[in-house]
Amino acid sequence: MTSWRRLSSTLVAGLILVAACGGGASTAPTGTPPASVAPATATPAAADLCTAPPKAPAGTTLTFVSYGGAYQKAQRQGWLEPYAALTGVTFQESEDSSNATIKAQVESGQVSWDIVDVGNDFGLDANAALLEPLDYTKIHKDEILPGFAGTYRVADITYGVVLAYNTDKLAGQVPQGWADYFDTAKFPGKRGMWDYSAGGIFEVALLADGVKPTDLYPLDIPRAVAKLDTIKNDMVFWGSGAESQDLIGKGEVSMTLIWNGRGYSAKHIDNKPVEIQWNDQIVTADYFVVPKGTPNKDQAMNFIAWATCKENNAAPSKYIPYGPTNTLSKADPSTVAELSVSNINDTTAYFDDAWIVDNAQALEDAYQEWKTK
Amino acid sequence: MRQARLTAERSGRRLGGGPIINRWALLAVPAIVFLIAFFLAPLVAVSLRSVTEFPKPTTDIFANYERFAASASNVRVLANTFWVAVLSTVVCLALGYPYAYLMNIVRPRIAGLLLIAVLLPFWSSLLVRTYAWQVILRDTGIINTFLLDMHWVEEPLPLIRTTLGVMLGMSQILLPFMVLPLYASMRRIDPELTKAAANLGARPFTAFRRVFLPLSMPGVLAGSLLVFVLALGFYITPALLGSPKDTMISQFIASAVQQRLDWGIASTMGVILLALALIVLFVASRFVRLRDVYGSLEES
Repeated sequence: MTSWRRLSSTLVAGLILVAACGGGASTAPTGTPPASVAPATATPAAADLCTAPPKAPAGTTLTFVSYGGAYQKAQRQGWLEPYAALTGVTFQESEDSSNATIKAQVESGQVSWDIVDVGNDFGLDANAALLEPLDYTKIHKDEILPGFAGTYRVADITYGVVLAYNTDKLAGQVPQGWADYFDTAKFPGKRGMWDYSAGGIFEVALLADGVKPTDLYPLDIPRAVAKLDTIKNDMVFWGSGAESQDLIGKGEVSMTLIWNGRGYSAKHIDNKPVEIQWNDQIVTADYFVVPKGTPNKDQAMNFIAWATCKENNAAPSKYIPYGPTNTLSKADPSTVAELSVSNINDTTAYFDDAWIVDNAQALEDAYQEWKTK
Repeated sequence: MRQARLTAERSGRRLGGGPIINRWALLAVPAIVFLIAFFLAPLVAVSLRSVTEFPKPTTDIFANYERFAASASNVRVLANTFWVAVLSTVVCLALGYPYAYLMNIVRPRIAGLLLIAVLLPFWSSLLVRTYAWQVILRDTGIINTFLLDMHWVEEPLPLIRTTLGVMLGMSQILLPFMVLPLYASMRRIDPELTKAAANLGARPFTAFRRVFLPLSMPGVLAGSLLVFVLALGFYITPALLGSPKDTMISQFIASAVQQRLDWGIASTMGVILLALALIVLFVASRFVRLRDVYGSLEES
């Protein structure tokens, strides 16, 4: 008898420890498209950093951090491996990019990340205390898409926040944009949405309500909330790219806001009846940043300059439908039609990241006030 | 065990063996150092952060607390967090008490099997189990697909994105924390007592209600407090199985830490949650001696 009692009490103690170790859902624009093989686009060599980057001192190790999965694999094949071969740098990788980790590293003075791929809500002046200013004597700022190169960050890939729909659920009807996302009478089924106040929810509500893409900011939050109220009970919120891909692929929702790489994966990798509507897309980007205080600052700047050169910037697009940010860079022919930047038209919108970051608290409060009521 | 203790007391080891006990107490030093370094110090750091880190410079050290109170959704979600925790406790108690009672009256070997059955889900991760619930409960999930295919329903039943879904997911995870303390306390009840009650003319139910149930109360309280406090911190389960109305405060904390880098407000929410949990424990201690409650766990 007593042994059972002892066992029980030991188990209780053990279980408390187990329960303390919960997991966290990640929110990263990663996709899982195929590694299609295509010839590299050759560009005439000019003897500069873009084609002949300087050799790194022996033993140089750079820690590159991104969002893992097929996304980081594409970056590895497109950038890290060729750059390592050219310069002798050894790359160490981490797949858990997180603004919070950058903050923790910088505040504790233990900076071990050198180059970090982050989302569009990070790397602005608000984060100046955490980041090194980029070296624009090396980076060709004039070739980067206007607005996508800032003091502390430069966009490395572009993607679209788009509307994806399940063709089975809509029985042949094609939604033309966000206005149809809000029309549950004509287009039945639930609607997927990223559970994040700065992820596009207010923007798409305003686009649906007839606001011109160029007039989005400052966001008219009460108007957006009123529009969102009309379909609140039909909305399903997702917290990670994998979740959004699964929801639209299975038909749990008939339409969703999604990152275009995830929409591509739902169709081409999972072979689900999913299509992307490029009208009303929001073109945005992931950015390279360098955490403040890294001992490898100069080597990190060299890599960032090299990876954003017109010769190299589009290399990951061979493996994943995320496009270049260098306007002179030619995307791979196999994915060029699937890229956000190839589908820009007069309905295309852009995030005003600076406005979003300055108003993050107000956005979050309005979002939660609407959502939890 | 009782015999062993008596022997020990008679031989005077307990009473006269001061130095021996002290030397053994050194074994607790690593645990104490661990608690100070990884529990107490971070707790102090988080509390300090809540009155020192602000998104916009201010001299008002309670600015974060004022920001918290100014937002209606914070208060609403905090209240909901306690409501969900209470609900989970009630559900676990309703499921766990009869189960522990059954474990108590069957032969030890069967009791062992029942124990394993309740612990089995613990051997896979919380995240995996929550996703499994999604696969079962959602509109295109196992249950609804079956019901729709059989034409027993026209529309999918609202199983996921409901409080019901949250309760299923949470009680499956929390049930062992209820069953084990209950079982431990029931084992301590002398079975002769209910027999004696029957001998004196009590019907089985009366004997249970007037003798067994009161004696099992330390287990009920221990399990309830354990489940309640653990439930307060949940966030993955309500996020994946609940509706927006089932949002819990930990989801807000996670979002403030990871997405908005607003660690000041995140610390503030953590401190408020901790303070309210302590108040609940304090109120509970008015009605029951906590030492009795947690003593029921260590008794062997």
